[in-house]
Amino acid sequence: MSHDEHDSKHFNPEKVFLYLFLFTIAEVGWGIAGKNFAWNRPMLWGGLLFFATLKGWLIAVYFMHLKFEGWVVKSLILPTPFLILVIFGYVMPDVADKETRLVHPVGSMLDPETGKIIEHMHDGWQSPHHKPHKSTSEHVEAESGVPH
Amino acid sequence: MSEALAVHDPALEAHAHHHPIYDYDSGPPVERGKFAIWLFLATEVMFFSGLIGAYIVLRSASSSWPDPQERLAVDITALNTFILITSSWLMVKALLASRKGDRGGILRWLGATIVGGSIFVGIQVYEYVQLVKEGALPKVDIFWSTFYVMTGFHGSHVVVGVIWLICVWFGALRGRYTARNNLGVELAGLYWHFVDLVWVLLFTIVYLF
Repeated sequence: MSHDEHDSKHFNPEKVFLYLFLFTIAEVGWGIAGKNFAWNRPMLWGGLLFFATLKGWLIAVYFMHLKFEGWVVKSLILPTPFLILVIFGYVMPDVADKETRLVHPVGSMLDPETGKIIEHMHDGWQSPHHKPHKSTSEHVEAESGVPH
Repeated sequence: MSEALAVHDPALEAHAHHHPIYDYDSGPPVERGKFAIWLFLATEVMFFSGLIGAYIVLRSASSSWPDPQERLAVDITALNTFILITSSWLMVKALLASRKGDRGGILRWLGATIVGGSIFVGIQVYEYVQLVKEGALPKVDIFWSTFYVMTGFHGSHVVVGVIWLICVWFGALRGRYTARNNLGVELAGLYWHFVDLVWVLLFTIVYLF
């Protein structure tokens, strides 16, 4: 594609930047609100993934000019999401079954003889600025030490 | 030697026999540099997917996981995200200036992009220093291991990007880029936007999930 052809396909970078700015505010707000009001995980993670995907799409399509590129460039980059799904598809069954999950937090200190947990991962380090939120289901389990 | 080559030049022979001459290029219908950078970016996508995939598997396999918002400074990192997104916009302005042959514009916008990238790295280093002072080392637990690996690899990409942009800035200073020849600015910009895109995803997964 020549530069003249490229320049004929304009977009407004300020408008895209404004959208990225607003979506970032919305995403951070969603994340903080979700933790403080103890939203369920699908709602919290779904909203965060929605905003992140939207922002990534805006950057790729407009800032990286993917929208204006020809088939060669698109054929180089577009298969990667499918390859990512293949990777996740192969590894997720290993952790999807609760029976095969680790029964203690990864990183916890274990007694080498009995195999019992001496120190939970989340007890091993605490930020001096620690301000606990209302817990989501995952973190309730973390605090109580109850496995999935 | 040149005469011998000229005699066997198929184009000349075709012309001599009144056949059409094709301006044939065996390469893809895109600049070679752009083809190469997109191929490189595709491999980078897979690289970061591996890191994020490992994080998701380790987190899913763990029976509990700490709340990232209780361990990490989300407010400072949100500000850092704004800075990186702003630098990405500044990079677009630098490319537009290069397409107009505006050397001063390239230097200004690219310079601002470099400052934005440097501030991002500076804030990340500050965050690391504070965490290390509090004893949050990679060896403490798997949360910190995955945190330092993902943000560290991304940070190293930002450093490489800043160095690349500085090289392009000096090239612009010497008048290397014109309205017709600005591929160097575009390639550096593609890498820079990719680094921004990866951070958008990492910020969500590491800090907000």
